[in-house]
Amino acid sequence: MRWISLLARLGLAAVFLTAGALKVPDLDASGRAVVAYDLMPPDVAMAVGAIQPFIEIALGLLLLLGLATRLAAWISAALLVIFISGIVSAWARGLNIDCGCFSKGGHLPEGQTPDYLPEILRDVAFLAMAIFLIIFPASRFSLDGRLLATNGSEGDADDE
Amino acid sequence: MNKRSDKRTSARVVREQIEREKRRKRRAWIAIIAIGALAIGGVVGWTIYVSNRASSVNIPAQANPAGNGIVTGSGPVVVEDYIDFICPYCKVYHDEASANVAKLLAENKITLVQHPVAYLDRFSTNQYSTRASAASACAADDGHFQEYVAVLFANQPAEGSAGPTDDQLITMGTQNGLSENFAQCVRDKKYVTWAQKVSDDASKAGVTGTPTAFVNGRKVQASANSIVAAVNEAGGATPSPTS
Repeated sequence: MRWISLLARLGLAAVFLTAGALKVPDLDASGRAVVAYDLMPPDVAMAVGAIQPFIEIALGLLLLLGLATRLAAWISAALLVIFISGIVSAWARGLNIDCGCFSKGGHLPEGQTPDYLPEILRDVAFLAMAIFLIIFPASRFSLDGRLLATNGSEGDADDE
Repeated sequence: MNKRSDKRTSARVVREQIEREKRRKRRAWIAIIAIGALAIGGVVGWTIYVSNRASSVNIPAQANPAGNGIVTGSGPVVVEDYIDFICPYCKVYHDEASANVAKLLAENKITLVQHPVAYLDRFSTNQYSTRASAASACAADDGHFQEYVAVLFANQPAEGSAGPTDDQLITMGTQNGLSENFAQCVRDKKYVTWAQKVSDDASKAGVTGTPTAFVNGRKVQASANSIVAAVNEAGGATPSPTS
């Protein structure tokens, strides 16, 4: 189980680090991606778009180190639920947008139709990884394991 | 079952309790550190977001009252468009629609407000979108905005390449009738922060891509046909009969 948790943890870490790192070079574009969802006032959306990549990177680092794994997994799951709802709502409202998940986002050019289903399925797969980590947070090579080990032996750090 | 082993057992229980208490505390610290890390991430993002807002902005004389678009003409119907000089679709839109738009301007049917946004700086290696937008504002000061827009689109760099440098932007202007004032304005980077303002205001207006066109505040497809149709509708004019 600890090996599977390790895979889930590193997988999610890679997801969040990549998603964050791709957005940091152009925070305005990230903001416009949020604006395009049309779910909040544009100036709020711009701020959310600027902050979100850094939260994603911080979360990715926590997962990579295996620090506060269960908490990080909860936050990941919460974020993913928000992302999935956003895409579903954009789909339901017939919006023609790029989800902005790993990219610049925004409206698609005329004549290009979005493909929301794969994006949703992908996020659901990530959500499954997060839920697995919530249930089995103890993983190999984690800082949690190091810090909470009993008497030097790598104990069941997160077993309660 | 002697007293000594009883004592040993209870000592072990106490030790385990202390151990558990220690781990509980450590776990709380780990959670605090983790939340702190996320908070730091948020603060970094917020700080960059706030500091990116341009502090001092020069507004071109030909700008609209909001200071984020260049005005041409003074007709009753307001046509607005949002263009990025490196965006291929914007060139398509410009090439297709500019003649009709010019005609509407000549007939004094419309006021044209153009917002040269810099959304796509990442598509050139040298922030061409921002520099081209800034140079277009310099051209507006010189009274040749429309002409310079046409020159920029005619010389549009490919996405992903290095766009024309400032010097090349100046040459492209001076070869087409722009003055030394224009050249100095580009050299001084007078409107670089303005390009940022135009982009920010456009984002806040909900414009997430380019080209985007509005006629009297209503979004229309950025093409000659839809703009002309919307202008005729807004102006209350019946389309001229085609006998």
